[in-house]
Amino acid sequence: MKDGFDTTDCFVVEGKLALPYSYFAGRVGSKFLTTIRDEKRIMGIKCDKCKKVFVPPRQTCDVCMEDIRDNWVDVQNTGEVTNFTVVRYNDKHLPKKAPYILAMIKLDGADTSLVHVVEGMDVGKAKIGMKVQAVFARETTSTILDIDHFAPVS
Amino acid sequence: MSEKFGVKVEDIFNTMQERFRPEGAAGVDASFGYDIPGRGKWRLTVKDGTMKIEQADDLSGCVAVTRADPDTFVGVNIGKVDGTAAFTSGKISVEGDVGAVSTTFKLFKRFTPPKKELTVGEYILDMFGTLESRFQPQAAEGLDITIGYDIGGREGGRWTARIKDGKCTVKEGLALSPNLTMIVKAKDWVDLMLGEVDAMTLLSTGRAKVEGDMNLAVKLGELFAKYKAPGEEAEEGQQLLVLKKVISVGQRFATGPVMGKYLNGLKEKKILANKCPECGRTQVPPREICALCRVRCEEWVEVGPKGNVRLVDTAYYASPDPLSGETRETPYGLCYILLDGCKGQEVFAHFIRDDQLERIEMGWNEKKGTIVRPVWAEKRTGRVSDIKYFEIDE
Repeated sequence: MKDGFDTTDCFVVEGKLALPYSYFAGRVGSKFLTTIRDEKRIMGIKCDKCKKVFVPPRQTCDVCMEDIRDNWVDVQNTGEVTNFTVVRYNDKHLPKKAPYILAMIKLDGADTSLVHVVEGMDVGKAKIGMKVQAVFARETTSTILDIDHFAPVS
Repeated sequence: MSEKFGVKVEDIFNTMQERFRPEGAAGVDASFGYDIPGRGKWRLTVKDGTMKIEQADDLSGCVAVTRADPDTFVGVNIGKVDGTAAFTSGKISVEGDVGAVSTTFKLFKRFTPPKKELTVGEYILDMFGTLESRFQPQAAEGLDITIGYDIGGREGGRWTARIKDGKCTVKEGLALSPNLTMIVKAKDWVDLMLGEVDAMTLLSTGRAKVEGDMNLAVKLGELFAKYKAPGEEAEEGQQLLVLKKVISVGQRFATGPVMGKYLNGLKEKKILANKCPECGRTQVPPREICALCRVRCEEWVEVGPKGNVRLVDTAYYASPDPLSGETRETPYGLCYILLDGCKGQEVFAHFIRDDQLERIEMGWNEKKGTIVRPVWAEKRTGRVSDIKYFEIDE
């Protein structure tokens, strides 16, 4: 057969592949999310040994390897941007319309950063160290988007 | 039995003794009557931190007699109906000392219906039975709308919720022109309400349809509090979250010249096979090379469309359809058909009509199996599904 074979009958089938999946948030993750959803309150877990407060919470301290799953503490709804990027493309799995700021936010009272969206400001003006505050979603979905976004505090 | 909530009036009274809280009875020394039309009368006597409940025809001497229909009485006791609202609307009435009745509220722990697995039909009844009580008036300010629920399937039904002046009334049947109509099968609706599946999945796979004002559909979550199964609200312990989603990944399949010719043939109701120049066997669906002789096959023949069944597989477990994420109903039949013009092992696999599955006979050696014919899709796009299934040729 020649290089250029007969392509009369060639065509492309456009389809989509649907992948059903489920993600279990775990006991610690579930409590973190349901408290945000039901009480508009953000909680972390503190390691008794090294005194580090984890937000998002985890059941084992990654430094001491201690089981810390029951040491819930409250943290503030305000915090500081420790790093950020600007998302400049749209995709259906993304939570917001581009461009938006995706930031690591260290809440007051926490020692680790939470990744979330910062809205309510020009994306070009984002700065490391700026203060932000959680804005809770009116309609809840039992996901981390029950904090709709963080807004800058002037 | 109070149909609406699945709990008997008698259950409420019979469990009073075990639900009794002596600390709530301090300083109470009185008899209270309960008159539930159609079910009977009961007398509750409280004295010195103890209680006695008995059925009684005569309620004289009670400081107060509470009268309520069975549904309302059960509803209030299991926390599905707001007691104050039922009282102000007259569904509960009190003869005698109204203030004394309020002391009885502290006497008992909340009645917890025994947890049981509900059927889809029972869930549907409970979900629509509690719809009014789950209404959130603060979210409905200024709204004047009608919502229709068209719940399909044997266990389904039709309901209409009318929301006006901060009130919600639910009636059976579908209103003429609701602002919003939800069309979904009973099982899917139950799964949705229980959080087993999310609305986006149902809508994107076509298992649910919304007609009318889409903005209103988004607002529904605020208008009604989340449904809780009977017994669930009293359950201790935390809620564990599972996120269920369907990821949709775009994909393209390039047919190439051989598969392309075959699929284009299906559009014209033709089943095309190609023939090996060496061994003479046909391949359907065709492949560029004969799998046995390793030579290119360039001769085309039309086979079928009828054929005889050589083998039937009955599938009792279906994996999700990769194109929709939906799982087809089981059992279904997959059959291997020797199309007219093919011989030996040159079978073609397709579905068999669901209701004929049991009538199909398989053939072997010289014996022919049931003769079947393809049922073509009306709109054919060059896919294997252009043949919907095969059915008995009769």
